[in-house]
Amino acid sequence: MTAVGQMTTSAPTGGTALRAAAGETLLEVEDLAVEFRTPDGTVRAVDGLSYSVRAGETLAIVGESGCGKSVSSLAVMGLLAPTARITKGAARFRGTDLLALRPKEHRRYCGEHVAMVFQDALAALNPVHTVGYQLGEALRARHGVSRGEARRRAVELLDLVKVPNARQRVDEYPHQFSGGMRQRVMIASALAMDPEVLIADEPTTALDVTVQAQVLRLLAEIQAERTMALVLITHDMGVVAGVADDVTVMYAGRAVEQAPVREIFAAPAHPYTRALLRSVPSLATRGAAAGAGARADAKAAGGRLDVIPGRPPSPGQVPSGCPFHPRCEVAQDVCRTDPPPLAAIPAEALTTAAPRAAACHFALDVLGGARG
Amino acid sequence: MGRYILRRSLQAVGTLFLVVFVLHLLTTFAIQLNGNPALAFFGDRVPSASQVAAVEARFGLDDPCFDQVGNPCLGPFAERLAGYAQGDFGTNLRGREVTDIVATAAPNTLKLFAVVTVTWLVMGMFLGSMAARWRGRPADHGIRMTSVLIDAFPIFVLLLVYRYVFSVPLSEWARSTFGSDSLPAQLFRPSFDADHAWASVLVPGLLLGLAGSAAFIRLVRASQLESYAGEHVRTARSKGLHERHVLLHHVVRNSSVPVVTAVGLTFTEALAGAVITEGMMNIYGMGGVLWEAVRGSDIGLVIGVVTILAIVTVVVMIVVDVAYAALDPRIRYE
Repeated sequence: MTAVGQMTTSAPTGGTALRAAAGETLLEVEDLAVEFRTPDGTVRAVDGLSYSVRAGETLAIVGESGCGKSVSSLAVMGLLAPTARITKGAARFRGTDLLALRPKEHRRYCGEHVAMVFQDALAALNPVHTVGYQLGEALRARHGVSRGEARRRAVELLDLVKVPNARQRVDEYPHQFSGGMRQRVMIASALAMDPEVLIADEPTTALDVTVQAQVLRLLAEIQAERTMALVLITHDMGVVAGVADDVTVMYAGRAVEQAPVREIFAAPAHPYTRALLRSVPSLATRGAAAGAGARADAKAAGGRLDVIPGRPPSPGQVPSGCPFHPRCEVAQDVCRTDPPPLAAIPAEALTTAAPRAAACHFALDVLGGARG
Repeated sequence: MGRYILRRSLQAVGTLFLVVFVLHLLTTFAIQLNGNPALAFFGDRVPSASQVAAVEARFGLDDPCFDQVGNPCLGPFAERLAGYAQGDFGTNLRGREVTDIVATAAPNTLKLFAVVTVTWLVMGMFLGSMAARWRGRPADHGIRMTSVLIDAFPIFVLLLVYRYVFSVPLSEWARSTFGSDSLPAQLFRPSFDADHAWASVLVPGLLLGLAGSAAFIRLVRASQLESYAGEHVRTARSKGLHERHVLLHHVVRNSSVPVVTAVGLTFTEALAGAVITEGMMNIYGMGGVLWEAVRGSDIGLVIGVVTILAIVTVVVMIVVDVAYAALDPRIRYE
């Protein structure tokens, strides 16, 4: 599996003149916090999340269910449930803070500049409209494209995502597609308006492993072709190894570690990241583990899979101090009382120039331990 | 789609046959237990044996099976079916063709139905959509309260109150204010006037429609709320579509399937309601005819009218089913 090497090389600078140059920062989320009103009071689902993603690059946001990774992207898209409220923060697309816009104007950026691929394509596509209608819908409604032209574009989009027999399938309904093909349709629908930023929320979770690989490869290809910025939300470290450039690991609504993908696989700086890497089945991480890796992986590869003890805290009951301390193997007294800030790791502790940050009182120890 | 319609039509023929057969069994049983309906033909007079025999022969009641309790009387049933096949739905006790009676009565019923259907469709779709759109807000609570309140007043109570409390004073007031031939005077008439059919079915139709819309409002609300929560709605929004477009093409459009189903159900409910409404408001329509036929023991007329109503209902059900399949592709391809 040479996927890491292949896909993390920066994308060829192709595309149209309007395209962003590779490397330009397109989406910048800063200090985002989202709260939900529940019968038991307000709970904070996302707490001070910051990240940025550049044209032609992929940022993976990783974490267990309920860590706030989906909520944060829905906030960027302005698609939060009515019970949710953004309490602070900004989400800047090319400098425009989307969250400060009125909902109607925010909506205008959706699809056109920032588009989203959802997890369960069967539910996310409308069952009563043909695939062609749904692909051409935004073009027709927003750009006044004619019915025939919209259909032609829909066929093109299906071709783009490699749905065979596109001319015929464009008139079929979502339920007539297989899971993998349906997810391709979902991707095509997000690409319809040619967005610069694509947020993919667990796009392969509902798919078979072999199909997963195909869909991910497709996403990576399209991203490279169009110099798109891709935010890939996943809980699967194997997927991260395959396609990401940078990684943000989230726990209990906060970013606990941010680093380039090679560095994070080589030497995690947060105990949670380390635990996540150990809990990946060895076959999927062979490429990553072979790259020097967390020594502990050798143990995982040899026998039983490591699991992280306990469960992620529910957003309503985040433990005091570091939210990960009840499950952490290196936790000390200070972890129970003082929440560690997400702090940059000093350059002298790093082997490469790429900056990285971790929210752990003992980040340097973890990092050093991993390097062994 | 063609095969689907064919299959539904065949099923409908089966249903219709069952309805007609059960109807036949029930009336046969009623005749066997209650005695000879031919006597009803003579009213208060006492006919001679030969006169009774002649009337029995005329209405197909001369078969000896009608005297044997429990005999299903399949012979007369076959004869009647053969008649139906030739468009002969029999006559009433006075010898008038059932089809002829229906032809004069049905237009009034259809007028009433038109008013009823428009009322509850408009009320239901409008108020249901409003309640769903503003879920949990005062508008939603108000609409739901209203629908429960309407439900608490059955149609016959509504009509009684209207007729005895409002109709008479209102029509008297309208007659003295606008003249006895004016539209308001016709609107509030307590009884039907064939010369002003539309005006006199309007208020009863509105009331019947209102009564029907109560459950419909809640159904529209529920099905739209389900659509609102649907992930496909989120997808539509993520494409940057206008909220109005999302509402029409992804919420209302998707919730139309259960709504159309309810149209069929409410139609039959309105049919039953029409019998009561027409009876109470003296409207000469199908319901009124049936009402009179039952009271006058006019078995032939009862069977004929009920059969025709059954046919209408079954046809409406087929239309609903076909609309259902047209609206939801997942049903079409079963």
